[in-house]
Amino acid sequence: MRALVRPAQYLALALYILFLGFPLLWLISASVKSSGELNSLTVSLLPEQWHWQNYSEALDRQGLVRSAGNSLGVALASTALVILIALPASYVLARLKGKVRLAGIGWILVSQVFPVVLIILPLFLILRTLGLTDSLVGLTLVHTTYMLPFALWMLQGYVAAIPVELEEAGAMDGATRLRVLRTIVFPLLAPGVVATAMFSFVSSWNEFFFALVLLQSPENYTLPITLNMFIGGEGKVSLGPLAAGAVLAAIPSIVFFTLLRRRLTGGLMAGAVKG
Amino acid sequence: MKIRHAALAACLLGVVLTACGSGESGDSGPVKLTFQSLSDQPGAIEQTKKTVDEWNRTHPDTQVEIVQAGWDGVYDKLITQFNAGSAPDVIHYEAAGIVPFAKDGYVADLTPYLPEAKRADVTKGVLDSVTVDGQVIAYPTEVQSYVVFANKALLQQAGVTIPTGPTMTWDQLREIAKATTKDGKFGLGWGLSSPTASFVAMAPAFGGKYFEGTGDAMSVSIGEGEMALPQLVNAMAYEDKSILPVTLTQSGTKALAPFYGGQVAMTIQGSYQAANIAKDAPQGFDWAVLPPLAGPAGPAQASSAQTLSVNKDSAHVEQAAAFIDFFTSTENLAAINEADGLIPPTNSAREALAAKVGTKNGWDVILSSGQHLTSAPYVFADKYAQWKDTVATPAYQQFLAQKIDAAGLASQLRDGWQNISR
Repeated sequence: MRALVRPAQYLALALYILFLGFPLLWLISASVKSSGELNSLTVSLLPEQWHWQNYSEALDRQGLVRSAGNSLGVALASTALVILIALPASYVLARLKGKVRLAGIGWILVSQVFPVVLIILPLFLILRTLGLTDSLVGLTLVHTTYMLPFALWMLQGYVAAIPVELEEAGAMDGATRLRVLRTIVFPLLAPGVVATAMFSFVSSWNEFFFALVLLQSPENYTLPITLNMFIGGEGKVSLGPLAAGAVLAAIPSIVFFTLLRRRLTGGLMAGAVKG
Repeated sequence: MKIRHAALAACLLGVVLTACGSGESGDSGPVKLTFQSLSDQPGAIEQTKKTVDEWNRTHPDTQVEIVQAGWDGVYDKLITQFNAGSAPDVIHYEAAGIVPFAKDGYVADLTPYLPEAKRADVTKGVLDSVTVDGQVIAYPTEVQSYVVFANKALLQQAGVTIPTGPTMTWDQLREIAKATTKDGKFGLGWGLSSPTASFVAMAPAFGGKYFEGTGDAMSVSIGEGEMALPQLVNAMAYEDKSILPVTLTQSGTKALAPFYGGQVAMTIQGSYQAANIAKDAPQGFDWAVLPPLAGPAGPAQASSAQTLSVNKDSAHVEQAAAFIDFFTSTENLAAINEADGLIPPTNSAREALAAKVGTKNGWDVILSSGQHLTSAPYVFADKYAQWKDTVATPAYQQFLAQKIDAAGLASQLRDGWQNISR
């Protein structure tokens, strides 16, 4: 009986992974099917004929590569800006006592209340004054502004979880404030920073509405806008090329997560031991 | 969605006054126009580019730049652009979408630029749908009708004579559907997951209008004419059992799969699907477009045309109107509609396209259906989109699932309109 437990666990895990991965498998399958097969009654995971033209059509038709480059640039820049601003701010927010902290927390919460559709016009007008509509720099600033409150909220939670006694012990041992931050706080905060960076990157990578309204020139379009153009009026959808585009669009996110995953788990373990 | 629009409108009140920027450089050199195009098919994108290139080549003083955009989210994009004073000069949209902008004063009156000959060339009902307070606020470019696609082999196997002639009646359709429902196959597949658009568009054949009056005084009218088609579908689905039940909950495109698979003998679709059927149907699949459907009141259908308008704040309204006049020439309209699989809204372009494409892929029947397109009162009903999404579609779905009866459907449609119009 005991010998069956481990295989059963692996089986359950495999089924769970299959369950989670099925939409992606189906997407990949759809990306290599012809439109005739996608519209047929026969349902199969493996295509009858591999229709690679969907990929070339996706790449040719809408400037997908250029859009991916724009998305990547905006997502990396806004993620870097968010972390740069949120890291010190979250430390202050977590460690500070009194009314300023309460006001800060209140501002973060209130800023999450407004729907994006309410703030898009004022934002548009400000950016137009600055000459930053239809600009990837403008979009980066908007993404940074929009993601910052949640990133702050996330990171200040991670900071608050680090016992203040560790910092006090460092200070007792003669470490300066900066050294305490560099050698004690930041290493323990690494998993939080990585998680926040992942959140910021994905939020910016997937963001649609601001990009839709702010960007006018096709050469500035980000990936969600470009993929959206595979969906036409009257319910017309170029399903094969759209699926191919979506598969290609998922690759940078997967690479980014793979690169950061080691830091995330490493950081978590470091935190566990030291905490 | 409507809540978002209401919220945005509220926001606009506070900031619209600050939106009045100059934006004009006053530079010398050619006039530059931006043209926000929503063309979504590769052929149509190519054709749009070709037309614009031709304009730019022949009009060095007015250069047009295409700004390619997508249909999804275009309302939000336009409302922001209009209010921030940064909308493109030439705007591609549909009549039902641009009319509210015209009512709010964002769109230029194109009447002075519309030659009489051109006005006479446009199908009257379509021209009516882009006329607001006597002003033509957009040039129609493409329209679609709903047509019946038939699997000829299944009709022949059932001993049905494939209808020909200028029109066929709904009674004929019902008879053919009954005759071809056998051996596990169904006569009709009709994707009615979002049935409102089809029912409203096809109601004129039964004398149905749905909306009456103008502006704020617009009221919904649910009588025999409006109820006839839903009741007919209900009878075909549950009395005749000649409609494949699953298609009643599918989108139009999804309902093509059982058509390709020989599970249904006919399907009602937007006319543009002819191009997709030609491309996607299995090899050897013998299909035809049946004559336009006619009800007791004739073969009329209401249609919201795709249109081109000019931003009222454009510094070059006259040049923009001239470009639209060029874009909607007989030759250009025929080419763009051929690429998109849609119907030109002018008689001359329909004739030109008919001469070019002949009977291939049912083009002759599809183009002939264009002459029956009539004005669409719903285009002028400000709350139509909200009524459609929140009232009509759920009510029709309940009716088609036999959760409510005809009286219940009528009262939901009527009361729902009154509630959202308060």
